[in-house]
Amino acid sequence: MNLGQWVPIVGLVVLGALFALFSVAIAPVVGPNRPNRAKLSAYECGIEPTPEPVGSGRRFPVKFYLTAMLFIVFDIEIIFLYPWAVSFNALGTFGFVEMLLFIATAFVAYAYVWRRGGLDWD
Amino acid sequence: MTIAQDALQLPHLNYGALAPMLILFGAAAVGVLIEAFVPRRSRYALQLVLGLGALVAALIVVITESGTRELTAGAAIALDGPALFLQGSLAALGIVALLLIAERTLEPGGPFVAAAAVTAGTEEDRTQAAREDAGTEVYPLLLFALGGMMLFVSANDLLTMFVALEVFSLPLYLMCGLARRRRLLSQESAMKYFLLGSFASAFFLFGIAMLYGFSGQISFAGIHSAIQTSTQSTTLLYIGLALVALGLLFKAAAAPFHVWIPDVYQGAPTPITAFMSACTKVAAFGALIRVLYVAFQGTDWDFRPVIGAIAVLTMLVGSILSVTQTDIKRLLAYSSIANAGYILVGVLGLSKDGLSSTLFYLVTYGFTVIAAFGVVTLVRDADGEATHLSRWAGLGRRSPLYAGLFTFLMLAFAGIPLTSGFTGKFAVFAAAIGGGQSWLVVFGVVSSMILAFPYLRVVVMMWLSEPGESTPTVSIPGALTSATLAIGGLATLVLGVVPAPLLDLTNHAAQFIR
Amino acid sequence: MASGPALADFGHDAWWLIVLKIIVIFAFLNVMTIFTIVFERKVVARMQQRTGLNQVGPRGWLQSLMDGLKLILKESVMPTEVRRVVYVIAPAISAICAFVAFSVIPFGPEVSIAGHRTPLQLTDLPVAVLLVFACSAIGVYGVVLGGWASGSPYPLYGAVRSAAQLISYEVAMGLPLVAVLINSGSLSTSQIVAGQTRVWYGIILAPSLVSYFIAGVGETNRAPFDLPEAESELVGGFHTEYSSVMFMLFYLAEYINMITVSALCTTLFLGGWRAPWPLSMVDHGVLNRGWWPLLWLVAKILILLFVFVWVRATLPRLRYDQFMRLGWKVLVPGNLLWIVVVAALRTAGLGGLPARIGIGVGVAVLALLIVSLWPGGARPASGPADSPAPAPGSAPGGYPLPPMDLVVPPSPRTRRLVTDRSTAPAAGGSPGAEAGAAAGGSPGAEAGLDPVQQPVQTLLEAPLVGPAEDRPQGPQ
Repeated sequence: MNLGQWVPIVGLVVLGALFALFSVAIAPVVGPNRPNRAKLSAYECGIEPTPEPVGSGRRFPVKFYLTAMLFIVFDIEIIFLYPWAVSFNALGTFGFVEMLLFIATAFVAYAYVWRRGGLDWD
Repeated sequence: MTIAQDALQLPHLNYGALAPMLILFGAAAVGVLIEAFVPRRSRYALQLVLGLGALVAALIVVITESGTRELTAGAAIALDGPALFLQGSLAALGIVALLLIAERTLEPGGPFVAAAAVTAGTEEDRTQAAREDAGTEVYPLLLFALGGMMLFVSANDLLTMFVALEVFSLPLYLMCGLARRRRLLSQESAMKYFLLGSFASAFFLFGIAMLYGFSGQISFAGIHSAIQTSTQSTTLLYIGLALVALGLLFKAAAAPFHVWIPDVYQGAPTPITAFMSACTKVAAFGALIRVLYVAFQGTDWDFRPVIGAIAVLTMLVGSILSVTQTDIKRLLAYSSIANAGYILVGVLGLSKDGLSSTLFYLVTYGFTVIAAFGVVTLVRDADGEATHLSRWAGLGRRSPLYAGLFTFLMLAFAGIPLTSGFTGKFAVFAAAIGGGQSWLVVFGVVSSMILAFPYLRVVVMMWLSEPGESTPTVSIPGALTSATLAIGGLATLVLGVVPAPLLDLTNHAAQFIR
Repeated sequence: MASGPALADFGHDAWWLIVLKIIVIFAFLNVMTIFTIVFERKVVARMQQRTGLNQVGPRGWLQSLMDGLKLILKESVMPTEVRRVVYVIAPAISAICAFVAFSVIPFGPEVSIAGHRTPLQLTDLPVAVLLVFACSAIGVYGVVLGGWASGSPYPLYGAVRSAAQLISYEVAMGLPLVAVLINSGSLSTSQIVAGQTRVWYGIILAPSLVSYFIAGVGETNRAPFDLPEAESELVGGFHTEYSSVMFMLFYLAEYINMITVSALCTTLFLGGWRAPWPLSMVDHGVLNRGWWPLLWLVAKILILLFVFVWVRATLPRLRYDQFMRLGWKVLVPGNLLWIVVVAALRTAGLGGLPARIGIGVGVAVLALLIVSLWPGGARPASGPADSPAPAPGSAPGGYPLPPMDLVVPPSPRTRRLVTDRSTAPAAGGSPGAEAGAAAGGSPGAEAGLDPVQQPVQTLLEAPLVGPAEDRPQGPQ
C-alpha cells in the first residue's frame, strides 16, 4: 500500500477541521450576543416547547429500525458486490454464477420483506 | 489495475458431500418465498411437506455419502466420520422435532404466533392469540437453524465455524419468542437468549482473533501445527482457547455458562425447547469435540483439568438445582445441563472411545429429550400447557399411557438399564476411565444419583397421588405428536436394549481428518 | 491520445504541491458553493418568471457571498436544551466529510506545475470511490447528531427522517457503481476515467447513470427529496436550532455534497475530465491534454448542477412514503436486475450489446420514472379540483373536504382594518381572501418563492422575542 496516497486526504481533513474550528470560534467574537429566554428555548413555531420525545421515554416508530436493518442487509450485499465487480473479468463464468446465486438469495429476503409490508411507509 | 488479473484459484467443491447443507438452505429459501407469495391458508401444508422433504432428502444424502472422508471448499469444510454422523443425527432429530413443531390439533392454529414483535398484553396481541392461522415462519427458521448446525459440526476453520454459529443461533433466538401463550415469558426468553448469545459469540470471535494472533492461521490444521512447532509465547494460545471454548460451552449449556438455559427453556414454545435441547446440544458438542480433538490436540494436558472442572461443576449444578425445581420445563432444563456435564466427561476421554461415546450419547439423549418435551405439550388445561409439577399429581390415573411413557423417559434420564440413558452413560463413563479420568466418573455417578431423585419424584407424583380438581387433562395428540412420541420412545427403548448397531456406527465414524 | 496517469503516479508529490492542491480544492469548493447558490436562485427565478437576485453586486452575483458574511456576523444562538459538545461537533463532521469526499475527484491528466509533472488530482487510491461513499456515510452522523443534540422535537424528527433517507438512498447510490466497476475493473477514479477513453459509461450504462443521479438527489437532501427539512412539516429539519456559523457549515456541506455528487457522476459516467466527443477529435486530442480538461470537468459539473436545480424547480416534494417506495421498490431491485443483465452479457462475451441495451433501457427507465413521478399520474381519478362539488364532510376517497362555499368569519384585526378603511366588503367578495392578505403581511411570505433563504429567515427573523419582563439583562 502506498501511504503517500493517503497523506493529502489527511491534509484535507486537517484543513476542513481547522476551517470548522476557526469559524465556530470566531462566531461569538464577531457576532452580537443578546440572549433572552424565548430565544434560548427550543423552537416550536412559537408554542411552549414540549419535552423532547426521546428523553420522555416515548419511542420512535419501529419503521426506522426496520429501515436500518434493511440498509445493513443491502449494504453488506453491495460490499460483496464491489470486489466481485472489480475482478469480474478474472472470475469468469464461475464468478458470475456464484454472484447470481448470491443476488438471488438476497432477493428472497427482499421479496419476503416487500410482501410483508416492510417497504411500505405509512 | 489494482487486482491481479491472473486466474484466481477457484476452490474445489464436492457438491455431493455438501448437498445436505445445500438442500436445507435451499429449502429454507424456498420456504421464505412460500411465506411471501403463497396464500396464508395453504402455507402450513406446503411448509410442512417442504421441511420434511428437505430433511429426509438431507438424511438420505448423508447416508449415501457416509463413506466420504475429505476436506472440501478450500479446506473450509471437513466431511469426515464425526461430521457426517452428526449431520445425519441432526437431520434425524430435526425430523422428529419438526413433527412436534408442526402439531396443530392440540391448540387451534398451533403453538406459534404470527407476529412475535407485537407488544405482549396489548389488544393486538390478544387478537393474534385468538387467530387460528398462526405464522409459519418457524419452518424456514428451523431449516436455516438445522443447515447452520450441519455447517457448524463440519466447519474446518474458525471463521466458517463462526458464520455457522450465527446462522443457527439467529433463527433460534427468533423461534424462542414465538410462543402463542405466555407471550411476555416467551419474549423475555428470546431477549435473554439473544443478549447472552451475542456475548458468547463475541467471546468466540475474540478468541478467534487471539488464536490467529498466536498461529497466523484460522484453520484447525494450521492451529494444530502451530501448537506443535511455534516457539512463540503461548499466552495468546491459552486466551484464545479459553474464549473459543467459552463460546462453545455457552451453546452446550455447561456451567457456569448455563444461566440462560432454565429461562429460555421455560419461556420458549415447548416444541422449540425440544428442538433446542436435542439439536443445539448435538451441534455445540459436535463443534467442541472438533475444536478440542483437531485443533488443540497438542495442548490436552493444559485444557483437560479446566474443562474437567467445568464438567464436574456442570454435573453438580444441573443435578442439585434440578432437585429444587417445581416446573417440569425447568426441571428438564436443569437435567439438560447435567447431561451436558456427562457429555463433557465423554469428550474428555480424548480418545477414539471418547469421541464415539460422545456421539452415541448425543443421539440417545436427543431422542429421549424430544419425546419428553412432547409429553409436556400434551398435559394441558384451559390456559395452555400445565407445567407446574404439582399439577402433574395423579396424572397416571387420568392417562396411564402417556404417564407410562413419561415414566419410561424419566427412567432413561435417570440411567436405568434397558434404556438408552443407561447405555449412553455407560459409554461415556467407560471412555473417561479408559482415558484415565476416573475422578470425573466419580462425580458423574454421584450426580446421577442426585439427579435420579427429581425424576423419581415426578414418577411418584404421577402414579401415587390422587388426581385433584386442578389436575389437567392429557390431550389426545394428533398424528404428528404421536409420531414424535413413538419415535422418541422407541429409540430410547431400542438403543437401550440393542445399542450395538449404533455403537458400531459411532466407532466406525469416530475418526477426524485434518 | 492522453490516457491519463496511472494509480502508481499518485502519492509522490512534493509537500508544497500537496498543500497547494489542498488549498486549491478548498477554495474551489467554497467558490463553487457561493456560485451555485446564486446560480440556483437565478435559474429558479427564471423558471418561475421572476427577476431573481439583482441587488447585491453586478446583476446580483455577490448576493450569496454577502449572505455568508452576514451569517458569520449574526448572533450564535445556542439554546439551553442542547448537548453542547455534540451540538458543536455535528456541523464540523458534516463539513469535513463534505470536503474530504472531493479529494479523489480527478480534474485532469498530468500537467506541469513549476517544473513538476503531477496529475491534476489531489490523490487517488485503490479504493477511491469507496472513500467518497464513506464520507457521505459518515456525513450522516453530522445530521443525526446535530438533530439529536438540539434537544428539540423538530430537529430530532428531521434528523431521524434524514438518517432513514440517507441510508435508503445510499443503497440505491452504491448499486449503480457495480455496473461501472464491472466495466472498469478498478475502484480508482483516475482508472475509471481512463476506462472511458473510447466511450462514456453513462452511454453504455444509461440506467445506472439515471439511477445514480436520482439517488444522488436523494442523498443530498435536495428537492424533490428534501424531506428532512420540509419547511411545511418540520420547520428547518435537523438544523432548526442552528444559527450563524454552525448553520453555515451545514449549508456549506449540503452544497458541497451536491457538487461532489455532480463531480462523481461526471467521473463515473460522463467521462470525467475528457472532452466531449466531437471536441475530443480536435488535433489528436489536444483538448484532452494540459489544462483544458479542467474546463470540461467544470462544464460537466455545472450542467449536472443545472439539472439539480431544474429538478427542484419542476417537481413537487414527494411524500415520505412515496420517497421510500421509489428508493426501495424501484431503484434497488431495478439496479440489481440491471447488474445481472450487464454481467450476463459480458459473461456471454457480448461486450458491445450492453451499449445498445443500456441506451434502450436507459430511455425506458427515464420514461417510466417520468410517468411514475408525473404529478397526479398515479393518483385516484377523483381529485378535489375536478370533482363535482361534494356534500360537506364526505368526499370521494374519504378525505374530509371543506364545503366549497365556506365563509370564514373575519378575524377581529381584519374587522378593524376594514372599519379603518371604511369600505364595506363587496357582496361577491370573500372575506377569507381579505383575511389571508392581511395575515400574510409578514416579510417571510414573499420569500416563499425562495426556500433557500427561508431557514435563515425562520431562524433569524422569526418573532421569538418574549414579553418584555422576560428579557434578562444578560445570560444567566
